[in-house]
Amino acid sequence: MMVEHFPVLIIVLPLAGAFLMPLLARRQVKLCWPALLLILVLVLGMAVTLLWRLDSSGPYFYHLGGWPPPWGIELQVDFLRVYLLLVVLGLGLWIAVYAWRDLEHELKPELIGWYCALYALLIGSMAGIALTNDLFNLFVFMEICAIASCAVITIKETRECLEAGFKYLILSAMGTGCYLLAVALIYMVTGHLNFALVREALPEAAALYPNNVLAAAALIIVAFAVKAALFPLHVWLPDAHAAAPSPSSAVLSGVVIKIYAFALLILFYRVLPGSLLSAVPLNEVILWLSVLGIVFGSIFAMVQEDLKKMLAYSSIAQIGYVFLGIGLANRTALVGALYHLLNHGIMKALLFMAAGNIIHAAGLRRIKSLSGIGPKMPLTMLPFAVAGASMIGIPGTGGLIGKWFLALGALETGRLLIVIIIIAGSLLNAIYYLPIIINAYLNPLSEGVSFKPVPRLMTASLLAGAAAVIFFGVFSKPVVLLLERAVTGFF
Amino acid sequence: MEETAALAVPIFAFLFPILMSPVIMAAGRRSAQLRNALALATTAAVFLAVVSLYPIMMRGEIIQFTLFEILPQLEISIRVDLLSFSLAALASFVWLLCTIYSIDYMAREHAGSRYYPVLIFTLGSCQGIFMAGDFFTLFIFFELMSLIAYILVIHEETPQALKAGYKYLIMTIIGGLALFFGIIITFELAGTVSLAAGPLVRETSLLAFLAFISFLIGFGMKAGIFPLHVWLPDAHPVAPSPASALLSGIMLKTGAYGLLRMIFHVFTIDVIRAGGWDKVMGVIAVITILLGSAVALTQDDIKRRLAYSSIGQMGYILLGMSVLNEKALIGDVFHIFSHAFMKSALFLAAGAIIWKTGKRLVSEMAGIGREMPFTVGCFSVAALAMIGVPPLNGFLSKWTLGLGALESGQPFYVFVLLVSSLLNALYYLPIIVPAFFGGLEHEHGSGFNIREATPRMVAPIVILALSTLLFGLLPTNIPFDLAQLTATFLLRGGP
Repeated sequence: MMVEHFPVLIIVLPLAGAFLMPLLARRQVKLCWPALLLILVLVLGMAVTLLWRLDSSGPYFYHLGGWPPPWGIELQVDFLRVYLLLVVLGLGLWIAVYAWRDLEHELKPELIGWYCALYALLIGSMAGIALTNDLFNLFVFMEICAIASCAVITIKETRECLEAGFKYLILSAMGTGCYLLAVALIYMVTGHLNFALVREALPEAAALYPNNVLAAAALIIVAFAVKAALFPLHVWLPDAHAAAPSPSSAVLSGVVIKIYAFALLILFYRVLPGSLLSAVPLNEVILWLSVLGIVFGSIFAMVQEDLKKMLAYSSIAQIGYVFLGIGLANRTALVGALYHLLNHGIMKALLFMAAGNIIHAAGLRRIKSLSGIGPKMPLTMLPFAVAGASMIGIPGTGGLIGKWFLALGALETGRLLIVIIIIAGSLLNAIYYLPIIINAYLNPLSEGVSFKPVPRLMTASLLAGAAAVIFFGVFSKPVVLLLERAVTGFF
Repeated sequence: MEETAALAVPIFAFLFPILMSPVIMAAGRRSAQLRNALALATTAAVFLAVVSLYPIMMRGEIIQFTLFEILPQLEISIRVDLLSFSLAALASFVWLLCTIYSIDYMAREHAGSRYYPVLIFTLGSCQGIFMAGDFFTLFIFFELMSLIAYILVIHEETPQALKAGYKYLIMTIIGGLALFFGIIITFELAGTVSLAAGPLVRETSLLAFLAFISFLIGFGMKAGIFPLHVWLPDAHPVAPSPASALLSGIMLKTGAYGLLRMIFHVFTIDVIRAGGWDKVMGVIAVITILLGSAVALTQDDIKRRLAYSSIGQMGYILLGMSVLNEKALIGDVFHIFSHAFMKSALFLAAGAIIWKTGKRLVSEMAGIGREMPFTVGCFSVAALAMIGVPPLNGFLSKWTLGLGALESGQPFYVFVLLVSSLLNALYYLPIIVPAFFGGLEHEHGSGFNIREATPRMVAPIVILALSTLLFGLLPTNIPFDLAQLTATFLLRGGP
């Protein structure tokens, strides 16, 4: 049956597409985007099929080339992995639709083919991270993802893009380096790379070589904290996400940093043994770093003058919420974190797309210069307002549901302070999102601003995003039920 | 047949206006008259729909059902009981009058096509608050109403209005988050937030106290109680007058409604008393009453004076909640009615004066009563009711509140009520006395020189002023009966 091979096809198809894309670009540049979208639709369809099959026949492992572990590479298909897969592919497809029209204007024509290749590479590697069950395989996908991310940042080749890309490359290489070292340490003491086998072997190994295992755990935290821009290792993110072309910013802020948070979650609860987590308060470290991230990310965002920089700093605060769920270490909070992961992906991508629309139409980037554009660009600013409301956590939007579960999880562990931080974080969001919206609608237009029409497809993707934000705020039950099943095996 | 009607009516009451608001917005592009007619028809339909529940409510039945589940154990549900019905009927009645008033008032203003849809949408969300069957639904509509009402506050788009609006918005968000905190703690303690589940928290604890404080902040923010009132005196006066009337007359009451729901559905009177939380409310109430009334004295802008007066009046309602016996509760619910009638009448009358003469300052209003006898006459009736002159409804509510306070052995509260009535007199009488008898020296004689606002503006004012009189005087007093029934219903406890 073909369906058996869907997990590997989901990874291989975009990767293979990435290799073929430059060839296609030589013959027919116009076909590049449709080809990319076709691939994405195909893999998304496969992922949906996987979910449907999961429901009937339950989780299973896929052995690459028929080689079982410890020799072969194993992919795991369970609710959590498939959820992530759906988030990555769904958001990836949506952003690609937007990017199609936007990049026609933003990039030189000869770069379009390359961009498609990089985008496919990015999506393929993220799908790999979502599915893999092997430490070294994870490293490989992380590297692919890092290089593709760096390339989609620097593709415009302006000075600031290159600078930001370089910064990203260095820090990200440091992150992957840390991770590789951790894998080496773990392999040294256990002799395994497969998640399940490592988990089995680690308690014994930890008793014999406690320092190695602890060092590995520390390195893992640092590695993924850098990759996912957890405070205080976020320094690369604002430049990188602000300088990149808008669709790149959307995919980087909306999806890429989330996938690393997810990888940390998997390593934390599927690889590192529970005894280790209870002996050393790793959870606490993550928890308090995420609290700092929530507070400082928002405070930094408040003082930004550039719209995209502000959105980037806001991402640092929002990724804090995801890590908060990991740090709180109970099922409710984890459901909240995973829900927020989806939701923040939608809203942040939406906000970056809206910023892209504004830049496309009027060339405005400074927050102050946005006054009065609401009535001129209603179909851009309305989704922006919806996403802003969701950031604040207004009921009826997805943002509230994630925060609801996070706060409930924090209450379950009796941490009132964390609940207050979550709520204070929402208020901070309000303080920097609301003035933009008010300014856009109620203040007069600054002089000398002219508006170019925005392609319909770009506006349509914005509206679809706004609809999704509200949909996941109102009809959240199916997703939550799925997530509750996804985190059952964790605690 | 009646069963399905009973289910359909509450849904209609909040959904119809919300659905109508885009229709009204679209109609506004074609013709202003069609838009106004649609807005009026919507409010009238809602009012009739709500009133049609009267027989069911009088039989003491409760409508409670779930629409759908948002999350496991967290649903969108509907509940109509006596308290919901009373407030929903009151709200839709005042809304109807304010919409009639708006037609002429707003004809001169800009952006009518934004005003009416928002007005109607707010009506829908307000009905949603009153008909919510659990705290989560209540929270959703509460936030919806508060956020949409922002557009009413900043309608004039002057820098002053924008500033007041921003303050309003930030305070609303803080209130909403506090409410979120309270609801989530309640959910954690009880596993549900449904109003039908009876008292959700049966004993005091740190968490329960935090929930109480959060609810008090969240609902109290809307109700404008001290020290969370800071947005109110800025936001209410800058709105167009019919919107001010609704903000002060009805939307403040959603806060009071929420507090009542909290006292009787999240906690019980026993829990509140055991924790000593009634004293917290009592202290805040006394400060709110005295502060609101005292600051109102110093305001020269008539609408600001009315706004501060609202703060003082909300203090009465909170006072009734801290006394928590049957008499006090009757007074409480009845004062919600009374204040809605009085304050809407006052704001509408003030609006008519401003609309006709452009005068906003009390010091400029000498002699205005001879120009606009009906408007100022109604203003005077409502102001006298505010002071608590018998036989107006304000007297009846204060009397009952005072009786309640005496019954529970707290004569100090009666003293506070008396002092505040005196203060009310001190800031209302200097408006109405010169309005009729002042300004003689530089006007031509003492004769009447009638220049009233249009009938469509005067009629709602007259109706509201008359109701302050009738509902204090009539032997069959529907609001008072409802207040009595509601109080016994709430005290009887349980779903």
